[in-house]
Amino acid sequence: MSFDAELLGRLQFAFTIAFHIIFPSFTIGLASFLAVLEGLWLLSGREAFRNLYLFWIKIFALSFGMGVVSGVVMSYEIGTNWSVFSRVASPVIGPLLAFEVLTAFFLEASFLGVMLFGWKRVGPRLHFLATVLVALGTLTSAFWIISANSWMQHPTGFTTLPDGSLLATDWMQVIFSPTFPSRLAHMSLAAYLTTALVVGAASAWTLLKDRSQPESRLALRMAIGMFAIVAPLQLLAGHESGKVVLEHQPLKTAAIEAYWESAPNQPQSLIGLPDRSAAKTHFELAIPGIGNVVQGVPRDRVLQGLDAFPRDDWPVVGLVYWAFRIMVGLGLAMIGLGVWGVVLIARKRLEDSTWFLRAAVAMGPAGFVAVIAGWIVAEVGRQPWTIYGVLRTADSASPVGAGQVSASLLAFIVIYAIVFSAGAIYILRLIAKGPALETEAPPDAEGRAPGTPLAAVPPEPEA
Amino acid sequence: MKVTIEPPPGEGEPLAPLHRRLGWFIGLALASAAATAVVAYALRALLV
Repeated sequence: MSFDAELLGRLQFAFTIAFHIIFPSFTIGLASFLAVLEGLWLLSGREAFRNLYLFWIKIFALSFGMGVVSGVVMSYEIGTNWSVFSRVASPVIGPLLAFEVLTAFFLEASFLGVMLFGWKRVGPRLHFLATVLVALGTLTSAFWIISANSWMQHPTGFTTLPDGSLLATDWMQVIFSPTFPSRLAHMSLAAYLTTALVVGAASAWTLLKDRSQPESRLALRMAIGMFAIVAPLQLLAGHESGKVVLEHQPLKTAAIEAYWESAPNQPQSLIGLPDRSAAKTHFELAIPGIGNVVQGVPRDRVLQGLDAFPRDDWPVVGLVYWAFRIMVGLGLAMIGLGVWGVVLIARKRLEDSTWFLRAAVAMGPAGFVAVIAGWIVAEVGRQPWTIYGVLRTADSASPVGAGQVSASLLAFIVIYAIVFSAGAIYILRLIAKGPALETEAPPDAEGRAPGTPLAAVPPEPEA
Repeated sequence: MKVTIEPPPGEGEPLAPLHRRLGWFIGLALASAAATAVVAYALRALLV
């Protein structure tokens, strides 16, 4: 393996997009959570919903900002490191990304201002409308980005011009390519799960210090409700997405499951060490003969193995294989956490279970890890193509030297380490404080917060 | 605690007339969109 411009460009994109995906996968769910909180506050008038809203909106604003900044970087990166891809694919991909900005990003950016600074000015109902529009914007953003990526996974509705560039011939086929619906469902549910896990972890953290904190008790129950319902749904959505991958990218399925040879009734590999050069899995623990059942296909169907494809087209099998198992393993742990939480709620012992609260805290980052692992499966599994079956990654790179790409990669690592570490630490500190602060009385007329030394100073007599 | 995000109006606090609230709603949305556009054009001017 040589560190040429192509590999360095791939590493750079992997690094920047892995940072970026953390934020939208959190803000998509958090925007909807805020809309639910505000709607419930309007309906019930219960102060706990309002306090939770005021607590999470700060974290949403910070995460949204960091998501925008990390997303802008990638747009430029596509131009600098992947100019051939840009030239070839922009007539198809470009409009999809432009629609994302025009319909989703501006919706989010515009009404975020109302959410943050306009509650008293616009009143509760118009403020709720702004929150709903921002939540809608985040989902619309996911729609266009998954649409563009799904087209790259299985391109349809285009033609190739004599100069090699692509032209859309049917926009509906471009936008709604075959893998798009199941992938959109899978990613949207992943975002909701990610948010529920963070909300659950933050609430459990506060409850470990104060078991009676009312907002955290409420938020933990809401989070448990989410992962008790959404985690099993995600298992079904993931299975459907896997069936679509088998139909349209059988090589990716072969890498995910380490099917080295084509055969019906492949064994279902649970764990092992795939060895690409030896074309076998070492120390494998597998259940024989259930591959077709797991894939949801007839028992006599031959499942293509890696041997059905040229070796040069194989992705990095070990990475795809393990990323998939990490994602599925965490998904099963989320289902387990949901069931455990529901049982504790039914027995009215939720806050008494220190072990559950600790487990909920430990599972806080699980959604982010599962999302990144899932995207590794999708993107590394698609290699060596940028546009599957149309444009190879090796033919997509810019005519730049390895030195240039490595210099920018180094700069990204340093800047991201400083900027995003600071942002993440600030968010974690806000979460660690918990929603209790939102319940404090507002500062007095002279801006002195209650409980502070200044609050003890008597006000100056009027002249 | 320093308040940077506007909290909702207090219970019993009178609301401004609807036309004024709608004005703020549209005005804040447009101002936010304009701020985004300024940043976008500044980035473009810086890099192109």
